[in-house]
Amino acid sequence: MLKAVNLCKQFERTTKEGRKTKKQEFLAVDHVSLEAGRGEIVGILGPNGAGKTTLLRMLGNLMSPTEGEICLYDEQGEKIEEEIRRKKSIGYLSGNTKLYPRFSIREYLTFLGELYGMEREQIEKRVEQLIALFSMKEFADNRIEKLSTGQTQRASICRTLMSDPRLYILDEPTLGLDILSADTIINFMMHQKKEGKTILYSTHYLEEAEAICDRIYMIFQGKIVAQGSPGQLMEETGKDSLRGAFQQIFENLQDKGKE
Amino acid sequence: MRRKKSVIEILCLKEIKDILRDKKTLVIMVLVPLLLYPAMIMGLTLFLSQMGKNQLESTYYVVYDKKDESLVQEIRKVYEEIKEEEELSLEFLTGDTSFLEEKKTELFIKEEKHTTEIRIEYNSTNQDSSLAHSQVKKVLGAYEAQLLEQRLRERGLEKEFFTPIVLESKDEATHSQTLSLSLGGSLGMLLITTIMTGAFYPTIDVTTGEKERGTLETLLTLPVSNFQMILSKFMAVSLFAGISALLSILSIGGSLAFLFGSLAKELEETALEIDVTYFLSCLPLLLVVVLVTALLLAAVSMCFCIFAKSFKEANNYFTPVMLVIMFASMVSMLPSVELELKTALIPIVNVSLLIKAVIAQNLSFSLAMVIIFVNLAYSILTVWVLAKIYSSENVLFQDGFQSFNLFEKRSRIKPNTIPKTGDLLLATAVLLLLLLYLGLAAGARSQMAGALVNQLLILSLPLFLGWYMKLEVKTVFSCNLPKAKPVTGAVVLYVGTYSLVMVLSSFLMGLMPESTGNMEAVYGELLAYPLPLLLLVMAFMPAVGEELFFRGLLFGSWKYRLGPLAAMVISSLIFGGFHMSLVKLLPTAMLGLCFSYVVWKTGSIYPSMILHFMNNLLALMMMKYEEEIGGFLPILVKAELEGGELLWMTAIGTVCIAAGILVMGKGKETLK
Repeated sequence: MLKAVNLCKQFERTTKEGRKTKKQEFLAVDHVSLEAGRGEIVGILGPNGAGKTTLLRMLGNLMSPTEGEICLYDEQGEKIEEEIRRKKSIGYLSGNTKLYPRFSIREYLTFLGELYGMEREQIEKRVEQLIALFSMKEFADNRIEKLSTGQTQRASICRTLMSDPRLYILDEPTLGLDILSADTIINFMMHQKKEGKTILYSTHYLEEAEAICDRIYMIFQGKIVAQGSPGQLMEETGKDSLRGAFQQIFENLQDKGKE
Repeated sequence: MRRKKSVIEILCLKEIKDILRDKKTLVIMVLVPLLLYPAMIMGLTLFLSQMGKNQLESTYYVVYDKKDESLVQEIRKVYEEIKEEEELSLEFLTGDTSFLEEKKTELFIKEEKHTTEIRIEYNSTNQDSSLAHSQVKKVLGAYEAQLLEQRLRERGLEKEFFTPIVLESKDEATHSQTLSLSLGGSLGMLLITTIMTGAFYPTIDVTTGEKERGTLETLLTLPVSNFQMILSKFMAVSLFAGISALLSILSIGGSLAFLFGSLAKELEETALEIDVTYFLSCLPLLLVVVLVTALLLAAVSMCFCIFAKSFKEANNYFTPVMLVIMFASMVSMLPSVELELKTALIPIVNVSLLIKAVIAQNLSFSLAMVIIFVNLAYSILTVWVLAKIYSSENVLFQDGFQSFNLFEKRSRIKPNTIPKTGDLLLATAVLLLLLLYLGLAAGARSQMAGALVNQLLILSLPLFLGWYMKLEVKTVFSCNLPKAKPVTGAVVLYVGTYSLVMVLSSFLMGLMPESTGNMEAVYGELLAYPLPLLLLVMAFMPAVGEELFFRGLLFGSWKYRLGPLAAMVISSLIFGGFHMSLVKLLPTAMLGLCFSYVVWKTGSIYPSMILHFMNNLLALMMMKYEEEIGGFLPILVKAELEGGELLWMTAIGTVCIAAGILVMGKGKETLK
């Protein structure tokens, strides 16, 4: 289980005023608190530049927050303090987490298994299982640089699965995939949910989020502007789809901005 | 059951596999040394021997005016006599022969009563013309000698009458000595640059390349610590640098063997002087040195590549780094620079001097050991510091080098931010440069002025930085009032440290006796100044300034950034280094350790300032009133201690240090 309290991340941006350049600090993530429990799929929605990726990076141990606290709990409900153990219990995936192009999928997964401290037999079994599960048999021994986008994305998902983590943090996992590849990934998330895993993911596809998310956080300019189950959000805005709710919420925000 | 591999092993194997699968890197690493060097060396040999042959076969032309025919005939006669012996090949022609272009000289002859003036015209920038010139000069020389002999005979004089002194110089240098001078420097440079190229490209591949391919972010989500990651990359890179170095040794050695083999006839006498068994016996040592150099250069290239955002940026760093390394490796080409303890401590330079020494056949085994140890120590230190200051977040998502606060405008610096490692290293470097230039310039006027300027610089830098970076005096400079108990412990600790410092100095002076006399020369002039001035400049100012800089700024900031132990070690080594003397380095560093421990445990800089003052006062008194103190406590002024004294001083030292640490106890833990 994951709990974040008052997370902030400060960045600098340069603005030009005439001939002077000015450095200005701003909060890319502004006091965000969120929770994701066992067996939950939690969606992070928001326009480009809202701070979704920064938020997920902090939750995935790639960035340290300027302020606030992230707590990760193990199955007994105890807080995991050690960084290596935290990393072991999180499967993190984003568009920037690429695979070693000069390795084959099988080699890569074996390397991961070793790194996670698994036994040799266990590694072999798990690799075969994953390759079968994602039907990657034909290209499992090709170099990853030779694979297509969809194949690479399937291999990436496999990577996060190798250690059987308790928490998945997925940054736009279905971006740019065809319907069939996207379905594989959605099925995978549903399956993990059934196993009692926690999934935190960001997306721009609202229909997809409506279908699978238990809870949704909408982010705008680093702040959470709405949260709740898809049903709650639709009810609050009086719309019959998440897309409608999303549009309504941002319209309201813009009206507020004008006032 | 098979043993499980450690994380570092797994990562290292992954890096090796990854590098091996990149063909471009392999080509640079393997083919360059294996093909390029033999090709270069053999090409050069062929070219040189071809040129030699051409010279032997060519005929040069001497052009003269028809009216001088009779004189030229005589010269020609002389030429016919000596041409076999001197290997000359000339043809004498009259008139204008511009078609011969540059393969010629022209003679202009003017005869008078007793002398004949012969002017030779040639073009010195043209090799053929200048060769023709030297041949003609030989002929004319022989002709002159003949004329002289003839004239002397006519007057009934001996030839020896005109040569009262016969000068003959003989070069005593052995063949390997001349060879070492001409070859040693360039071989060292060739080897070092090869190792550097061998290290640099794999480094770019595993650091910048990994970042650009987007796999670094993946790696950082895996259960791997920064230290494991950096260490494994370093090991993989060192392996390849080492292999490429070994390959180049083989190929350079092989091609040189070929070269000597093909020139064997010409070198017959000298070649015998080269003792092959000597080189073979040096080979294992040489291999170890090369491997250690590979480690060092791998560490150096890691430093630059790991912060680079892209391949291009890494390549930009490569050129200046390579230039510095090439320059350092060229130092051994200077005949006066020899391998000794001092030069053995300078990285790169020491390896290149070692190769020179091997070729000159005067390698000292103990110095080779020093070189191996020193290079190993440098590379471990570099990688360790690298792992400490590496921040994956900065490297991945920001400018990479965010290790400087100093470059911000003062208005943008927040009060009481702890200086970063980059700031501290920069401050140290700036101070060192200022001391070298301003201190030396002032020191040229008088030693007192030099010492005064040095102390003012050391004092003003921490004050300036403290103001500029808005440091809080309590946190960084530890300007707090101490408690009585830890201060007592501090005094005991200092007494213990001082005893050990005496033991260590005595031992080091035994090792390097030449530096003892040096010290008296340095301080002799200073001691003539009045005592109050001496106290101010040599005891009080260093106690305040050096404590503020080394224990305040450096230790005080690093203890937050790197932890107190690392901060103690690094700041004390820099403290030792600042005294710019090999004999003083370790003893001073030891005092630095003691002072920084005192600052850490008492939570205050004042006790260490007072101890530092007492320490300098004691040293000053011992130099100024050597005899008086010697009569009262002889052990203090002895340059070298004897066995028994060493023993009980060590015992006292150890006991006092233990007691001091015990009394100081846990002390003030001021870390946040």
